[in-house]
Amino acid sequence: MSDMSDPIKSLTELGKKILSSIEDGHFPRIEIPARSTENIVFDEQTEQFILGDSRTTRDSSNSKHIRSFMQLMWIASFSKRLLESGRTSSLRDLYYSSEAFGVRFKDQAESDRLLSDLEALIEYPRESLGFFPEEHSSIYGKVIMRYTVKGYEDKEVDLTISPDGLPIGPALLSASPVRTDAKLILAVESGGMFSRLIETRCWERFDCILVHLGGQAPRSTRRLMRRLHDELHLPVKIFTDGDPWGMHIARVIIAGSANAAHIRDLAIPTAEWIGVNADDIVRYNLPCEDMNNRDLKRLDELSKDSRYLSDDWQSAIESFRRLRKKAEQQAFSRFGIDFVVDEYLPTKIQ
Amino acid sequence: MTGSASGNFRGISPAEFFYRNRQMAGFENPTQSLYTTVRELVENSLDSCEEARVLPTVDVTIQSELGRTCTVSVSDNGTGVPDENVPNAFGKVLYGNKYSSRQRRGTFGLGVTMAVLYGQISTGTPAVIHTKTAQNEGNEYSVYIDIESNSPIVKSSNPLKRKERGTTVHITLNGDLKRSRERVIEYLRLTGISTPHARITLSLDDTERYTFGGFTKKIPSLPVDSLPHPHAADLELIRRLAAKNPDLRLHEFLVGSFQQLGHKTAEKFLNFIRMDPRATIGSLDREALSYLGNSLRKYDKFGKPSATCLSPVGKESFFNAIRKEFNATVIGYSQRGPLEWDGFPYIVEGVLAISDAFEQSDIPHLFRFANRVPLLYDSTDDVFAKTLKRIPWARYKPPEISGVAIFTHFCSIRVPYSAAGKQSITSVSSITSEILSLYRELGRKLKVFSEGKKRALHSRRKLKEFSRLFNLLAKFSSEVAGVDNIPDTSRMINELFEVDSDV
Ligand SMILES: Nc1ncnc2c1ncn2[C@@H]1O[C@H](COP(=O)(O)OP(=O)(O)O)[C@@H](O)[C@H]1O
Ligand SMILES: [Mg+2]
Repeated sequence: MSDMSDPIKSLTELGKKILSSIEDGHFPRIEIPARSTENIVFDEQTEQFILGDSRTTRDSSNSKHIRSFMQLMWIASFSKRLLESGRTSSLRDLYYSSEAFGVRFKDQAESDRLLSDLEALIEYPRESLGFFPEEHSSIYGKVIMRYTVKGYEDKEVDLTISPDGLPIGPALLSASPVRTDAKLILAVESGGMFSRLIETRCWERFDCILVHLGGQAPRSTRRLMRRLHDELHLPVKIFTDGDPWGMHIARVIIAGSANAAHIRDLAIPTAEWIGVNADDIVRYNLPCEDMNNRDLKRLDELSKDSRYLSDDWQSAIESFRRLRKKAEQQAFSRFGIDFVVDEYLPTKIQ
Repeated sequence: MTGSASGNFRGISPAEFFYRNRQMAGFENPTQSLYTTVRELVENSLDSCEEARVLPTVDVTIQSELGRTCTVSVSDNGTGVPDENVPNAFGKVLYGNKYSSRQRRGTFGLGVTMAVLYGQISTGTPAVIHTKTAQNEGNEYSVYIDIESNSPIVKSSNPLKRKERGTTVHITLNGDLKRSRERVIEYLRLTGISTPHARITLSLDDTERYTFGGFTKKIPSLPVDSLPHPHAADLELIRRLAAKNPDLRLHEFLVGSFQQLGHKTAEKFLNFIRMDPRATIGSLDREALSYLGNSLRKYDKFGKPSATCLSPVGKESFFNAIRKEFNATVIGYSQRGPLEWDGFPYIVEGVLAISDAFEQSDIPHLFRFANRVPLLYDSTDDVFAKTLKRIPWARYKPPEISGVAIFTHFCSIRVPYSAAGKQSITSVSSITSEILSLYRELGRKLKVFSEGKKRALHSRRKLKEFSRLFNLLAKFSSEVAGVDNIPDTSRMINELFEVDSDV
């Protein structure tokens, strides 16, 4: 719990600052780093999104600001209670808990957004404030982690302990990696592929840690990958469906998302996308579907996205555009159940 | 046949006429008659007090005996009636002193005498008048009317001391107090609105007592007699005026006989109609006089009539009275005029007010007044009532506002009543269009008010909500700071919303 004491201190200071302003008869104001798109820039050097310098002011004397200001402080108080009691909350729980305090959010998007404001304000990610997203993705591989959560302090866990993989939750996120035999982190998009790779003992064959992303990777999952990448010096490869959506799942892990631009230490610039790309679809003659309008529109959007400006990414987009086809990871099953492990991955990973 | 037929022809006296047609004057049945009697007596009292320039004190008592016989007594502190006038004033139909060209309640000497007549025919009792002027100590009279000859019969007249100047009239008649009670009360209550400086008391059978009016101590200025407006110049008026001073030259005659007709206007006008300004008025034949009258009525360059002959209630007095009597919120006042109809100057004024005391309805409830007299009967024939229905009230009045009333006052030296009972005003097109504008203006004021009210309600809600949110902010901040007591925020919030702290 020792690393949680700092957010508590920051929160307490925030509370004191606001309280003393009220006691002096001044309406409190706070400045939050602006998270609007205009203030999100793609930093070429670190190859990830970061926030610019502009800030938004919340003035409690402004009747348009007071509600969200109050909601922000409620989240702060909720967070402090979580941290002090060593508990965690899902984002959904946060949203539902508000009602009992007379706070009431319009929808979960609103409470999520205000939590992001709080992250930006006190410069701690939500996981450090006790909040975790609902969608659990999983991890499996030859790593030993040591827990720090209450009741499990110093217990070690081998991430091959369950054949289903271990869910990436608050406990695992606050655990520290002890040692590993793995040489690689392989993140895969679909649950089906994740299970397949565990069953076929791919993790042994490639000495890899498998991570199930489950669509766009949750921030906690990205955080854990980044941590394993940093502390165990493991390269990261990302294996997704062969469509614009899969490509973007990879790109977000590599370059970060606009939504989390205020959070540092999330992007993994050296991570690599290993398909399925348009050329793979052709080369392996994968069963595929025609792209629909939504897919094509998404390609257009991505081609203009600042994260895709490099030649490599532009040509990846261009290939999809020409092909106008898409394929799922599972499509390799057409060539037999082991084809991915025996043929595809070896080529891609080497 | 012819001989006997011609033998049946005879003229009838005004008294005889109204004896036969008493419903025309508001004496149709015992209920209406009692109400009309009170009304005529009170109107005379108020007219007289106006003349005397005093704050009117009018006391009305009604004593009912054996069901159908009632004695109405009305006393005032007005001028009193000079001895020589008493017999005719109370015993001769169509006799009065109010034929002048200014706003009065009474009109042509048909009020109290009808009540006397009705009392006499229904109960056989004379009217009793106790009056004192500035010149005497007081006398009491019993008066009947000789209906066939329309002349007074003074049964008795005795000196009877009266402390203050003024008049008390007692009339015993066949009336139905039970059924007219409501109307009488309503009439006096509304009289207190249109004559707010008068204090009126009502006592019914010594058991019920009411007080009305007395909302202001300001006596309105006395309307003054005015010359007729040239648009009122019908042949009869021209002939009468000409007969008074037959030697006047036409130019001088016009300038001296009419308002809005100065030397310049007279010159222009006579030049325009090609009449010789130097011709003496007496020398003009009927045809020339008729031409002159027609031309005066049609010429459109005379000024608007002067308002000095009129006495509108006025915004402040009207507001004051309505507020106090109905515990109402007054929304707006609007006035049209002075204008003229057929040459008679008039003003219409109106007040729109909201109160729980008013009927809840989609269109405003209407209270009508003419020359400061409330009009209670025959509203369906009335131009104000008819015009009210032509206004799309939904446009001005949001459904959540209820209990809206409009008070209209028509004042003129001649009110176009639809009957001698003086209960409704006929539709004269020029007047109708002014009433429409008056209503619309009041409607707009209602709209502005309701929008303002919505805004105020909104801002009150806003303050409440803001203070809830701000207090939560303070509470959560205390929690985050780890501090137990939550600071008081009410002063900050009140200052922010610029409300008085004690509200
Ligand atoms: N209370 C009163 N005080 C003074 N004068 C009165 C009073 N009542 C009646 N009169 C006189 O009697 C006249 C006749 O009254 P009325 O028949 O009601 O006719 P009107 O009021 O139309 O003139 C009035 O014009 C007025 O001169
Ligand atoms: Mg009268």
